[in-house]
Amino acid sequence: MPKDKPKIGIFELTGCAGDALLILDCEKELKDIFHAADIQSFVMAKSDNIDGKMDVALVEGSVSTEKEKKELLDIRKRAEVVVAIGTCACFGGIQAAFLEGSEWEKNYKEVYGKTKMTHTKPLQSKPINAHIKVDFYLPGCPIGKEQFLSTFNRIIRGNPPELYRFPVCVECKWNENDCLLNKDIPCLGPVTAAGCGAICINHNLPCVGCWGPIPGANFTSEYYLLKEKGFDDDFIRKRMGNFSGTGIADFLGKIKGEKR
Amino acid sequence: MKRIKIDHLARVEGNGGVVVTIDGKAVIDVKFVINEGPRLVERLTLGKTPEEDVSIVPRICAICSISHKYAALRAMENALSVKVPPKVALFRELMHMGEMIESHSLHVYYLALPDYVGFPNAIAMASKFDLEVKIALEMKEFGNHIMETASGRYIHGENPVIGGFGRYPTNDELLRIKARAIQFMPFVLKTVSLFCELDYPYVPEEKTIFACCNPEKNQYGFAGDEIILSTGETLNKDEYKKLTSEFIVSHSYAKRSRYKGQPYSVGALARINNLGERLRGEAGKMFKKYFNRRWKINPLFNNAAQAVEICYAFERIPQIIDKMLNLPDPPLIKYKTREGKGTGIVEAPRGLLIHSYEIAEGLVSSTDIITPTAQNAEDIERYCTIAAQKLLSKGEEDKIRDRMDLVVRAFDPCISCSAHMAEVKKALPESWKSRLAEIKEHGLPLFVGVGKSDCSDDGVGLQLALELRKQGVKDVWLESELAEQDCPWKNGLDRPLVFLDAVDFKEKPGKVTLLPFHTILTNTVLSHRLLPFLSCQISYDHLKNSYILGIQPQTIEKGHKISRPVRQALNRVVRQIKN
Repeated sequence: MPKDKPKIGIFELTGCAGDALLILDCEKELKDIFHAADIQSFVMAKSDNIDGKMDVALVEGSVSTEKEKKELLDIRKRAEVVVAIGTCACFGGIQAAFLEGSEWEKNYKEVYGKTKMTHTKPLQSKPINAHIKVDFYLPGCPIGKEQFLSTFNRIIRGNPPELYRFPVCVECKWNENDCLLNKDIPCLGPVTAAGCGAICINHNLPCVGCWGPIPGANFTSEYYLLKEKGFDDDFIRKRMGNFSGTGIADFLGKIKGEKR
Repeated sequence: MKRIKIDHLARVEGNGGVVVTIDGKAVIDVKFVINEGPRLVERLTLGKTPEEDVSIVPRICAICSISHKYAALRAMENALSVKVPPKVALFRELMHMGEMIESHSLHVYYLALPDYVGFPNAIAMASKFDLEVKIALEMKEFGNHIMETASGRYIHGENPVIGGFGRYPTNDELLRIKARAIQFMPFVLKTVSLFCELDYPYVPEEKTIFACCNPEKNQYGFAGDEIILSTGETLNKDEYKKLTSEFIVSHSYAKRSRYKGQPYSVGALARINNLGERLRGEAGKMFKKYFNRRWKINPLFNNAAQAVEICYAFERIPQIIDKMLNLPDPPLIKYKTREGKGTGIVEAPRGLLIHSYEIAEGLVSSTDIITPTAQNAEDIERYCTIAAQKLLSKGEEDKIRDRMDLVVRAFDPCISCSAHMAEVKKALPESWKSRLAEIKEHGLPLFVGVGKSDCSDDGVGLQLALELRKQGVKDVWLESELAEQDCPWKNGLDRPLVFLDAVDFKEKPGKVTLLPFHTILTNTVLSHRLLPFLSCQISYDHLKNSYILGIQPQTIEKGHKISRPVRQALNRVVRQIKN
């Protein structure tokens, strides 16, 4: 392997491993990916993994145990650039829907009772930026092939990723779909990051928000729009919070305050 | 004490490991550790609408996401009394075939095959098996293409919903899939031969129980409303808890399952064992050609079973599509039910997957999800123990790590279902002392001396018990006394139970070890004639809290004299217990 190839590590924390799997799903490009970069660590794909210095670390999943936190801190030390890949790494994902520590604890006890875990201590699921500085974010549940390949291409050449800077609605309009909100169907397109191609709406189904919120998402407007359509507060908050994890924490806190 | 550790089990889907601890020639502990953190998915679904649940739960696992979707839909539709038209059922079966092809071909070619041909990964393997690697990729891509057509995208597609699909494929799209499925057949048949003819090692081989869905009408398939076991028993889906009886272990966030106290296996090998006779066509021919008794006892044959299933799936696809072509696209079935209870079972690529829900006031009020890897975890540990012990007894300690990798990988664990992989650890000298102290922390132990008093050192367990009694230690029995009264420790079921015995773990005479009781059942070299019998009297819960304190004998020939090193060890043990 020539020296000038960038060294890349792909790491999985707690999640469904869908982002790593999507990389393996780039069937036609996979050989090129392995040729263009020196993939030093990719546990799902290879057994000869090296723990050394690297140029870029792609991290998937949320931090959910003490061991993962340690591993993540070590990855940060070894990598020049850290990219969070997937909704879990970016926002915590579905397992970060319990935003309050006490709420998480209560639910943890319901599942595991008093069993003391000997292998590693559990932590409330959080996105990786709760523990380390993250350079770039690549959202998706799972990440999209197109956006991943473009990001991969750019970062191995030392360029920052160029992501879509608009919500799902834009892609939806490109596809000339009818707006589901106009049909009183609770669609999260307006507040969700684009990149999926508005896939659900193309299938006559509402956006569930799985790519997490777009930076600067107008949650307030979406909230009141759904309220006008007759959905209750509890329903809307749950719907908006299913995938958004910490990405929506501030807004939900604000809404709670207003209610009182 | 030595440990063999495979910390980051590579080439499995997820994050887990195996730790094997050996003391002399005895395997004293095997743990299949899943490093995935707790996600509390079942709890996350509470209070959500049935639609939200169906969208959240596939996120448990990317590679089984279609199976999770399918199981959740079946469960929800049972709970909400929704009956779907034939085209929906067929389209769901088609999407499931896509997942089987994608997951199985990824596993057999990319994750498993490199081990058998000596490469660290599939990309490196391409240097020698260029054509196989290329076509396998295309096969996997074809599986993905079916899933994309059916669900909207490769992973976590949202198109399958309660009551049907958001969008149906055109006949053109279906016909293209049919044509490609037929084109793949020559390579599919090669795949079956390749994986059925691989040189699978003989260690570990041992009987197990197989469980899978029982498809209707005596067909082969990946869904049903009944569970069928290799014992011949069947269970209705609503009785699934009789099969799984879940419990928690302290070294994993994934729950464990046992059937009547015994580990069981799920997955392609379970299906082929239980349902293989039902296969028709090329898959049926392949089954008849390759299936033999080793498939019933050797988990490594799961790779071969998956290859046969790839063949089944490729033959099934044109049949499904032919039926779909003539059916109109049905509208989404609407439901008004707001209360209900329902279970849905399907076969994920790696085995039986169960979803069960209760709905109250239109929202999910109870969720129970049991994944295949959680059910396989106990059998994975058992087969690793057998493999490690057999290799250790043969003096092939250096092979343990790789063999365990092979075993765990054969199960195709999808570890995010709640696993990176193996470590071999050596017990520290005299570590039995500290472990005895740990045991004591969980309660005052009960002691049972076992052995044969007329076989010299084999009588040390009995002597030890008598000596403890003499020194005033309470709750000490001899094995002969157990027959007289039934279960003398009735009031001490929460207290640890320690058997005292001579144990041949191929160490210097007089060495002491402390083993968890269950290891004795698989460690053939060590088993005391009475112990398996005694274990029948112990409840499974108590068995998990039972141990054997063993002293390495010098001789077990006829005679009443206990050798000097063993006598000295006896005194050391007595002193330690008294402290």
